[in-house]
Amino acid sequence: MKGTQLGEFEELVLLTIALLYDDAYSVAVVETLGQRLERPMSLGAVHRTMQRLEEKGLVNSRFGESTAERGGRRKRLFTVTAVGEQALQEARRIRNELWDGIPKTAFGHLS
Amino acid sequence: MKPKQRAQPPRWAERFLERIIAPHLREETLGDLDELFHKRGHRYGYSKARLLYLVDGLLLLHPRLWRRNSTDLRFHTSKPAPIAMLGNYFKVAIRKLNRHRSYTLINVLSLGLGIACAILIFTLIKYHLSFDTFHANRDRIYRIHTEFHGDKVRYNTGVPNPLGEAFRKGYSVAEKVGRVAFLPKRVVAVSPEKKFEENIAFADPDFLNMVNFPLVQGNPQTVLKDRNTAVITDRIAKKYFGTDDPIGKLLQVDDSLHVRITGILRDLPPNTDFRSEVYIPFDNLKDHTPWMVEKDWWFSVSDDMQCFIRLKPGVSAASVDNHVLSAISSKYYNKDMAKYFRFKLQPLSDVHFNPKLKGHTEKKNLWAFALIGLFLIMTTCVNFVNLATAQALGRSKEIGVRKVLGSERGMLFWQFMAETTVIVGLATGVAFGLACLALPLVNQLFEIELSLNLVKDPYLLTFLPAILLVVVFFSGSYPGLILARFQPVLALKGRLSQHQPGGFSLRKSLVVTQFAISQLLIIGTLVIANQLRYSQQANMGFRKDAVVVLPVPDNKKSKINTLTAQFSELAGVENVTFFDTAPASEDVGSTGIWFGSRTEAETFSISIKAGDNRYASTFGIPIVAGRDLNPSDTIREYLVNETAVKALRLASNRAVIGKTAIINGRKGTIVGVMKDFHYRSFHTGIEPLCITTRSENYSQCGVKVNLANLGPTLAGLEKSWSSMYPSSIFTYQFLDEEIDRFYKLDNMILWLIQAFAAIAIVIGCLGLYGLVSFMIAQKTKEIGVRKVLGASVPGILWLFGKEFFRLLVIAFVLAAPLAWWVMNGWLNDFVYRIEIGAGIFAVAILITLGIAVVTVGYRSLKAALANPVKSLRSD
Repeated sequence: MKGTQLGEFEELVLLTIALLYDDAYSVAVVETLGQRLERPMSLGAVHRTMQRLEEKGLVNSRFGESTAERGGRRKRLFTVTAVGEQALQEARRIRNELWDGIPKTAFGHLS
Repeated sequence: MKPKQRAQPPRWAERFLERIIAPHLREETLGDLDELFHKRGHRYGYSKARLLYLVDGLLLLHPRLWRRNSTDLRFHTSKPAPIAMLGNYFKVAIRKLNRHRSYTLINVLSLGLGIACAILIFTLIKYHLSFDTFHANRDRIYRIHTEFHGDKVRYNTGVPNPLGEAFRKGYSVAEKVGRVAFLPKRVVAVSPEKKFEENIAFADPDFLNMVNFPLVQGNPQTVLKDRNTAVITDRIAKKYFGTDDPIGKLLQVDDSLHVRITGILRDLPPNTDFRSEVYIPFDNLKDHTPWMVEKDWWFSVSDDMQCFIRLKPGVSAASVDNHVLSAISSKYYNKDMAKYFRFKLQPLSDVHFNPKLKGHTEKKNLWAFALIGLFLIMTTCVNFVNLATAQALGRSKEIGVRKVLGSERGMLFWQFMAETTVIVGLATGVAFGLACLALPLVNQLFEIELSLNLVKDPYLLTFLPAILLVVVFFSGSYPGLILARFQPVLALKGRLSQHQPGGFSLRKSLVVTQFAISQLLIIGTLVIANQLRYSQQANMGFRKDAVVVLPVPDNKKSKINTLTAQFSELAGVENVTFFDTAPASEDVGSTGIWFGSRTEAETFSISIKAGDNRYASTFGIPIVAGRDLNPSDTIREYLVNETAVKALRLASNRAVIGKTAIINGRKGTIVGVMKDFHYRSFHTGIEPLCITTRSENYSQCGVKVNLANLGPTLAGLEKSWSSMYPSSIFTYQFLDEEIDRFYKLDNMILWLIQAFAAIAIVIGCLGLYGLVSFMIAQKTKEIGVRKVLGASVPGILWLFGKEFFRLLVIAFVLAAPLAWWVMNGWLNDFVYRIEIGAGIFAVAILITLGIAVVTVGYRSLKAALANPVKSLRSD
């Protein structure tokens, strides 16, 4: 079904939003993902992905409180919707099935 | 720890992003960037953070960033657009202007003056640029002209008379070749009693086919084909025959030629340089002026004998210059002369503008006018800005209330723009009226026919709104911004004024600009006036007063002798001479010279005048060596000037006496040397000149008269002249009047610059007045306090005066070198010129100073004399 199809980066961002749970906003996502992936993240890319996720209905957003270090501006906090959770589960299921299907000997030459 | 100032992300980048980000994303995105910036700043230092901020900003750029969210859109359109308030803006504006009548009046007048000048200058430039642009295929029409390559190059609009025929017969690059001889001021008679002076032209039929002068009567295929026919314009036909049918009627041209009218041209448009209204076949020229069409005579070139061609499509002018016309030179001249006589094409579009080829108007003059127009518009905008900002202070309460009630900056700005539009609109109306009133004056001055017709002239119709917009924008935007920026709290308290960032320095520089423009124009006026006075009063080297110049329609020897005898009998006549051109005349021709027994022709060319044995004595030209000419009817003897002796590289004037010279192909003996005199205007220097008794060229008669008893003398001259030439019209002119005509263009420029300088000064005064009012309004309390504490009236006056004095000096420092440079360039056109002395600059600064003192003084004196009780009571 179109709409629940997840790109790789989208999946990562969505997972990070779920991970951060109560404090999932763009800067936090940039920093967490940056650390985990061990590569610098651009704010622009994350922003656009989160917008796309919201358009697909995978996340909800609301304004949070404003802080001084943001120049008094509010942040936008994201939470994963039920549809989003379903999409993540689906992606995980497909991956698991694929992993399970790999014959033991396929990676043999590496060991 | 020291309190440290918080680091900030790059402000310009933040502003830029703020502008482009869609409103629904703006807050969070900028917040994110800020947060990241501060976190990174802590971690890696602020310079790196700043860099990363820019990188992030760049990476954010994506259509998603500025694409508006469809669901959010409705919240943002609820903002009332300036359009919705437009009606109200205008209503308020009109009420406001009605209340401040003097402010409105000053502004409308100064803007009106400036715009009126702009309209006139625009019309003038457009008129000149439109000259002869209405001919079909005009980009392929050229005039062949002659260049004389001696030691320097001289130009002549004409060609030798056989050239047109040689070009037509020998070469096929042109579709049409039209020879045309323009003869000014000939007598055309319908009957012996009914005669008129007209400019006539002898032209090939091809010429009339080339130019776009349509026939209203007659057959375009056959017109001018038969000899002794004529084509005249509708205007001339009406003048000659009233309502009668002119076709088939007979005309007599001068004494010799009778023609029958076969065609009527539509009246000539004003924007053409071909002003002849009577056209006669070219073949008839040999019946009328035989010497102009002497057969195979390639060595003389007359300005009036011109040749126009229309090239075939695809033929370039350069190739015709390089191949065809140079081939003509080498075919019809010997090797040396072919180098000397060269022919070139001049595009039709250049004819009106090329000063070397008798162009009517130089383009650089037009651009100078455009620049002056721009200056005037600038000063009037400056004025408006000054007055409007001064006025804005009085409106602080209104602005405060508007802001409290929810007006935004943009709305206040547009409100002010609406007000400006009303004023400028009124001013444009006034300006158009003024321009219409001034138009007859300008037309008379320039001897042109401009018209201001909004309906028929699409250019003017677009120019007016364009200038309105430009003026509204330049004069309204700055005060509008100032006004909109008022802080409501301060505005309501009436505490605005002293501390407006940047505002006052801008106003100062505006005043400096205004002063500088006024001074520039004043200096220009002074220099031009001085130079013209110098050239008109300077000694030309001959006597120019008390000589009456008459035309000589027929120079047969018997007639000249009779006329001389009759004139000499008159009581007031002292001397009579016949010649082709007066001592000072731009119409003098020049030619080559072969001196004595030298083996080669000289490299310089010599100007040649025809004059009889009484020429030098009548005009008071001293003979410094040898003797005057002997009476003769043919070329036997020559008089040369001192410059010619020098050009011949001879040591003394005596060395030239008695030698032979071949000038213009005619041999003669040099019998005398004249003292140098200015035989052209002061624009050009004195060059080699000779005078000889070539009676066939005599076309004018100079009569030295006694000024004491002028009336009867003139009547006597007219009586003898009219009985001698019954078919001609008696006209006379004093020589000094004729000389003044040289400086007609310069006088015109002087008049204009004077007018513009006066207008700039008037506008500048209004502006100064506004600025001083503004300062006084600001400082009312200060003056009150000073007076209470014992300040004197002169002390307070100086308080205002010193500021303006400083601005004036700054403006002078800017204007003086510029003025010197421009005017020096203008003076370089004159060979005999004044030097720009310190006096002119002193006068210029004194004039501006005087004007400033009067304008500023009046207003500040009023303030200084006011009772301090009044200004201090209100607090």
